[in-house]
Amino acid sequence: MLRKRNKTVIYGLYNDESDLLTAVNKANSKHLDIFDVYSPFPIHGLDPLLGLAESRLHIGGFIYGLLGTMTAFGGMTWIFTRDWPMIFGGKPYWSVPAFIPITFELTVLFASIGMVVTFYTICGLGPGVNNTILDERTSDDKFALAFDLGSLSNDKVDGLRSFLKESGAGEIHIKDI
Amino acid sequence: MNQFVFEKQQKSTFIGMMILGVICMVLTFVGDDAFHTRFWSNFLHNSVYFTGIAFGALFVLSASLLAYGGWHTIFKRVWEAYSLFLIVGLVLMGVIVAGVLGGFHHLYHWADKASVEADEILKGKSGFLNPMIYTIFTIGFVGIWFFIAQRMRAISQDEDQNGNESFSQHKKLKFWAAIFLPLGGFSSAAIIWQWVMSLDAHWYSTLFAWYCTASMVVTMYAFTLLILVYLRSKGYYTLVTQEHLHDIGKYIFGISIFWTYLWFSQFMLIWYANVGEETIYFKTRLEEYRPLFFLNLGINFFIPFLVLIRNDTKRKVGSLVFVSIIVILGHWLNFFLMIKPGVLHTAHELAHHDTHKVGGNESEIKMHSVKTSQENHADANSVPHTAAATHGEGHEVVSHDSHSDHAEVPAGFHFPGLLEIGTWIGFLGLFLYFVFWQLTKARLTPPNDPFVGESYHHHV
Repeated sequence: MLRKRNKTVIYGLYNDESDLLTAVNKANSKHLDIFDVYSPFPIHGLDPLLGLAESRLHIGGFIYGLLGTMTAFGGMTWIFTRDWPMIFGGKPYWSVPAFIPITFELTVLFASIGMVVTFYTICGLGPGVNNTILDERTSDDKFALAFDLGSLSNDKVDGLRSFLKESGAGEIHIKDI
Repeated sequence: MNQFVFEKQQKSTFIGMMILGVICMVLTFVGDDAFHTRFWSNFLHNSVYFTGIAFGALFVLSASLLAYGGWHTIFKRVWEAYSLFLIVGLVLMGVIVAGVLGGFHHLYHWADKASVEADEILKGKSGFLNPMIYTIFTIGFVGIWFFIAQRMRAISQDEDQNGNESFSQHKKLKFWAAIFLPLGGFSSAAIIWQWVMSLDAHWYSTLFAWYCTASMVVTMYAFTLLILVYLRSKGYYTLVTQEHLHDIGKYIFGISIFWTYLWFSQFMLIWYANVGEETIYFKTRLEEYRPLFFLNLGINFFIPFLVLIRNDTKRKVGSLVFVSIIVILGHWLNFFLMIKPGVLHTAHELAHHDTHKVGGNESEIKMHSVKTSQENHADANSVPHTAAATHGEGHEVVSHDSHSDHAEVPAGFHFPGLLEIGTWIGFLGLFLYFVFWQLTKARLTPPNDPFVGESYHHHV
């Protein structure tokens, strides 16, 4: 499976994340519309510059966790009071303290697996998915800042090219992704 | 503003709190039983609570130093001021020590010679639980802690004056921190066994010391947050931002959960194993302190957990202050629940012991205890050992009576009364007075600490 975004972008490659941050800052002050930023690692302070909203993944995590809590607690309650009542160590059938550790474990399990699956789905990642990569070096030591060309006029494209060059990009390419 | 000014109004407020505390303590003392059980248990309760905060501050300060932590550096003077409170803690606990040696309080069952003679379990523990070890550990360990706190403070102040690029003072601070961490870690456990756990002298729990320390450290963070918010409102610490408060919020959240983990581990293991000697601890608390027992869990776990679980509530002053106040009161109640039942039990035993010796109605006691022993499976002292047999039966009568007839339980034991709260306010006034006074003695932000720059730019 190959996912294509059908876009043509111009991008510059930077050697350092601080150069990239400066370039993003400059682009913002010039009101340039940034398509995306590519980096081998998360950069501190980049999200607010790109105007990204806080991720809602953790809300999902909370809901999955709650689901795990209810599954474990409800499941054990049903098993030990209705389905197959058993006595352990002279305790009552419905012995809440004994349920807590398993409830905790299932909460963690549901929350973590749920969040991984959600994250992979949103990002279009997963086994067998083959995404086009803008530049393979952005998974190693390069930082890319990309603008969507869309139907921009040649003058504007030249403007973007000179902006990238002035802001310290070592290489500038145009690519269909 | 880098120099703190202890305003007159603050001084008079704190002195007023202290006077209120003294009045409450005098009232408690006057209206108390012959042993002054309520007075002494309040005194011990608050001394342990505030000494614990001082210890927690020194421990966190040392741990941060050794872990190359820099986020707290701009307000580390607050923690230094807390840690110096150990000298007051030493004096307060010294009073308790004097009481153990002089026999003018009866907080500890093991301190009563006659009881130890008649009790196999206490006799077996007397190598550790005796007045001599209690004195040496309390004075020795708190003394050493204070010595290290005072050394670190002096070096830190020297850094303000003579700090330079060689960072020699910082290296010295790390030296003392490295000495304190293992020493403080182990000695605090031993001291908690002596101060708090041995109030229930027949009972023990191996994770009690961590449980207690978690309580102390989370209280310390909550106090730090409130003081920082207060000082910011007064125009100090303008560079302490949301980012720093966020980190304190994370610690309050995390350590509250850690505390709950320990609370639950202790409870569940004892509940599951169902060994009488151990279960008595929770049996007493669940039956006679039921509202407090669940309130303790509710306000120390559910409120910090549910309020601070979100990112933005850890960054808002309102929610942080709310949780801090809850945590401070909650862990005070936690210590209440650790201290009061044991003290009351000891007082009952000793009181009964005395009447028994004079010639109590023995046949009635025996009859009564046969009736109750069927319900009281979990009673520690019903374990038959010949030497303590009469003693144990005596206890059963008392505990049964106090269960069925609440008039026997003195005020201020099942739930904190106004006098307990007044005493706490008095100790709080003393603590704040001392901390504010120490804050005036050094610059609020250490200018030459190598991590101060990192702290200014702290961003999460």
